[in-house]
Amino acid sequence: MKGKVAVIGVGMIKFGELFDKSLENMIQEAYLNCLKNVEKGIDPKEIKAAWFGQWSGGFIGQGAQGGQSLASMIGNLNLSCSRIENACPTGGDTFRNACLGVASGVYDVVLALGAEKMRDKPSAESLGGAGGGGGAETGNHPSWMMGQGGPAIQAMHATRQMHELGYTMEDFARVAVKNHHNGSLCPYAHYQFEITVERVLNSPVICWPLHLFDCCPQTDGAAAAIVCRADLAKKYTDKPVYVWGSHTGLDHNQLWDRSSFVSQPSVVRAAKGAFEMAGIKPKDVDFAELHDCFTNTELMDIEDVGFARSGEAAKKLKDGEFDMHGKLPINPSGGLKAHGHPIAATGLGQIFEVVTQLREEADKRQVKLKNGIGLQQNVGGPAFGAAVVNILSRSR
Amino acid sequence: MTQPVPASPMYWRFNTEVHRLVGIKCQDCGHISYPRTKICHECGSQNLKEYKLPQRGTIHTFCVNWAPPPQFEPPILPVIVDLEGGGRYGGIMTECGSPDEIKIGTKVEMVFRRMLTDRGLNVYGYKFRLAEEG
Repeated sequence: MKGKVAVIGVGMIKFGELFDKSLENMIQEAYLNCLKNVEKGIDPKEIKAAWFGQWSGGFIGQGAQGGQSLASMIGNLNLSCSRIENACPTGGDTFRNACLGVASGVYDVVLALGAEKMRDKPSAESLGGAGGGGGAETGNHPSWMMGQGGPAIQAMHATRQMHELGYTMEDFARVAVKNHHNGSLCPYAHYQFEITVERVLNSPVICWPLHLFDCCPQTDGAAAAIVCRADLAKKYTDKPVYVWGSHTGLDHNQLWDRSSFVSQPSVVRAAKGAFEMAGIKPKDVDFAELHDCFTNTELMDIEDVGFARSGEAAKKLKDGEFDMHGKLPINPSGGLKAHGHPIAATGLGQIFEVVTQLREEADKRQVKLKNGIGLQQNVGGPAFGAAVVNILSRSR
Repeated sequence: MTQPVPASPMYWRFNTEVHRLVGIKCQDCGHISYPRTKICHECGSQNLKEYKLPQRGTIHTFCVNWAPPPQFEPPILPVIVDLEGGGRYGGIMTECGSPDEIKIGTKVEMVFRRMLTDRGLNVYGYKFRLAEEG
C-alpha cells in the first residue's frame, strides 16, 4: 500500500440534525464538495469504481442500500461499486477498500463515500437498531441482547477503567471538554459550543458511570474522498496526501469472550497492522482522529493505538498533551463527541479532517505538523470487536 | 392483536445453548466459549470438550443503565460475571433493590426467568441475583 495510493480530494457536509436533507441529498452534496476539492479539477467519468459506506440500511428506515444507490445518485452508472457495512468502522473501512482497489492495480481513480441518516427516528429506535435490546427477534442470544447497546457496553468498560486504572468521572469528562472546545472551532461539527467538567458531571446519567455529555450524539451526515494512483496524483493536485498504512483489527463477537475491559484488542490489532504497513511508530504521528463515541473510549483508544501506556492517558490528557496545541493533538475536528457520529460517514469525516490538517487548510483548528503524518481510527460493532486504523502522510 | 410466531428453529436451539448453559472448553488453549461452538473463538482449535457453565460467580464489571430499550423499566443493571471455575456470562440483575447493592466482586447466581416476549412467545433465559450465603 505504502507509496501506491494518494488522496486527491475530500468533501463533506456539515454534520448535524439534517431534517431537511434526504440520504440522496447528503450523498450528492458531499460528492460535489469532494469533486470541487480536487485542486486542478477532475472529470467524474475518470472515477471507475466506488465503495459506498452505509451502516444502518433497513434498521432505521432508509431501506436496504446497495452499490447502485451511490452509482445512481451520482449519475455514474458505469461505476463498479460495492456497499460496505462493518459496524462503526464502516467509514474508515470504506476508505480502506477504496485504497485497496487502487493499490491492487485494477483501478486508477476511485471514490469512497459514506452517508448515514440517523435523526429521522428517535434515539431509542436508532439505538435499538444498533443492538440496544432487539432480543430474540434479531436471532441473537437473549441474554446478550438484554439492553447491552453501545452506552451499556462502554459504561461497563468505564467501570473497569475506574476499578483497575484509577480513572475518575472527571477524567472522562475532560475528554468531552477538550473535544467540545475543538468542535467549537470546526464549521462541520454537529455541536459547536464549549462545555465544562461541571456541566458534564451535572448532566443526566445515561449509563452510570457515563453522563449525557460523555456520549456522542446520533447524527446525520455524509463524507467522501477521491483516491488515485500515487504516480498520477500531481496531475490532480499539488498537495496530495499519501496512504501509508490501513488495517482492520478484530476481536471476539461476544462480550463474555473478551479478555479485558480496559483495552480493546480490536484497536490494538488494527494499529499494529497499520503501523507495520507504514513502517513507523506511534511517536512519529503528529495528530490523530480517534473514535470517541464515549469519553472513556477515547482514553482506551489513546492507549490501544500506542500513544500512551495503559493507565497513563488520563494524566497526559489532564496535562494538556492531547489539546489542539499540545504535544499530540487528539480529535482537532471535535471528535465524535462534538463533531457527531453518522456511522458510515464518521470515518470518512475523520479522513477529511486528517487530509485537511496535512494540507494545512484547517484554519482556526490547524495543528502544528512536524513529520506530516496523521492517523484515523474507528472501533465498534458487537463487543466492540471491529476496528480500523488508517495512516496518512504528506510525503510519498 | 399480535400474531404469535410459528414454531421456530431458534427456540429449539435455545434449549441447549440458553437453557442448559452448554459451552465448550478448548483442550489446547483453555479458553471457554459460550454458547457451544465447533471452533474455539480464541485460537481456532477444534479440540474441544463440552463445558457446562457454572451458575455462580462474581461481578467482573457492571453499569447502571438509565436509558434501556423501551420494554424495560429503568434502571437496569447489566453485569459481566466471572463464573466460579471459569468462563464468563453476561446478563442483567434481578431481585436487586438498588444499584448500591452491587459492585465489582459482588457474589451473584443465575436464576431462570422470562427474558422477553417476542411476538406472543415468551423467551426464557438466565438473569443474576445476589448470591445467597453459604
